[in-house]
Amino acid sequence: MANTTNLSTDKKTAWGGGKSPFSVSYGKLMMWIFLLSDAFTFSSLLIAYGFIRYSFPSPMENTIVKPLSHVAEHFTEAMNKAGLFVQNHWPAPELVFNHFPFIHGIHLPLFFVSLMTFILIFSSVTMVLAVEAGHRMQKKEVANYMLLTIIGGAAFLGCQAWEWTTFIQEGARLYGNPFGPRSFAALFFIVTGFHGFHVFSGVVLNVIIYLNVLNGTYEKRGHYEMVEKVGLYWHFVDLVWVFVFTFFYLI
Amino acid sequence: MEHMDHTEHLEHTETPADMKSKIWNTFWILLGLTIVDIALYFALLSTHSMLKNALFIVLGVVKAWYIVGIFMHMKFEKKVLMYMIILPMIFVVFFIALMLIEGDFTYLLRW
Repeated sequence: MANTTNLSTDKKTAWGGGKSPFSVSYGKLMMWIFLLSDAFTFSSLLIAYGFIRYSFPSPMENTIVKPLSHVAEHFTEAMNKAGLFVQNHWPAPELVFNHFPFIHGIHLPLFFVSLMTFILIFSSVTMVLAVEAGHRMQKKEVANYMLLTIIGGAAFLGCQAWEWTTFIQEGARLYGNPFGPRSFAALFFIVTGFHGFHVFSGVVLNVIIYLNVLNGTYEKRGHYEMVEKVGLYWHFVDLVWVFVFTFFYLI
Repeated sequence: MEHMDHTEHLEHTETPADMKSKIWNTFWILLGLTIVDIALYFALLSTHSMLKNALFIVLGVVKAWYIVGIFMHMKFEKKVLMYMIILPMIFVVFFIALMLIEGDFTYLLRW
């Protein structure tokens, strides 16, 4: 590490106001603290989800429909009739989220949400590559990676809009749904909506930073730390999705 | 602290030289873990137990570790910053486990 010159003087100056004891700038430290508080908010939502999910019985027998097999036009109604969607049993996620854009009549459980996960992970990678290019002061590279990140974020939002549309068309509402307990769809809308809003804010921030990079704001400033700060936020959004994915689709 | 003409002095911790390969390794690990997640979901479709949930949560925490450690640069920051963020989150994970079990008891009361 660069800052291990003299420990005793380091200790003196560390808390003296001249140097950050965390070896990060003020803005970055505050971003970390903001993210911690935001993590608490998301945790409370996910904890509420987990608690409500487990206060209901587990899904009914859910190995009936094989992945990639053909399903009827009105799949939800059929499942309802078959007794797989009942009001006092939590529905099996793979029977609810089995749609894919442009593909009809085939049971594709969790395929679409896996695609969304991959999109978000990939946009996280391009973001960290932008940060890495920023360390080398490569303006053009930073801009390109930022653009890819923005595209990834927008693609994710598009996917989520499609997912919501399908879900609503099948009859899911905040106050009820044909799949199972009322709280199932309500929690889905609230948690994925809250996360989607974070993604949206992240995309807006990324666009602002992208324009600044193009304008050469950070080149003049001498460092690309703003990209890092927004990057932290963006990775956090990806991180939250990992847990939303785990809780809503896997558990 | 000396300032150059228009540039600011910036406090930061060093990034390893082979960051780029570290990033791509992390990407493949995350991709692999997600695929493992989905595979396990289908392999364990008809089992319902707390152990299965614990498995998925542990996989999620492993993914979180890679995202926070490499992508968010936490591994290369000072330990004090790391503990400031990680310690509260450990309690949160504990809270999650606690409330899942509590939900199970509520289920026993209700049905």
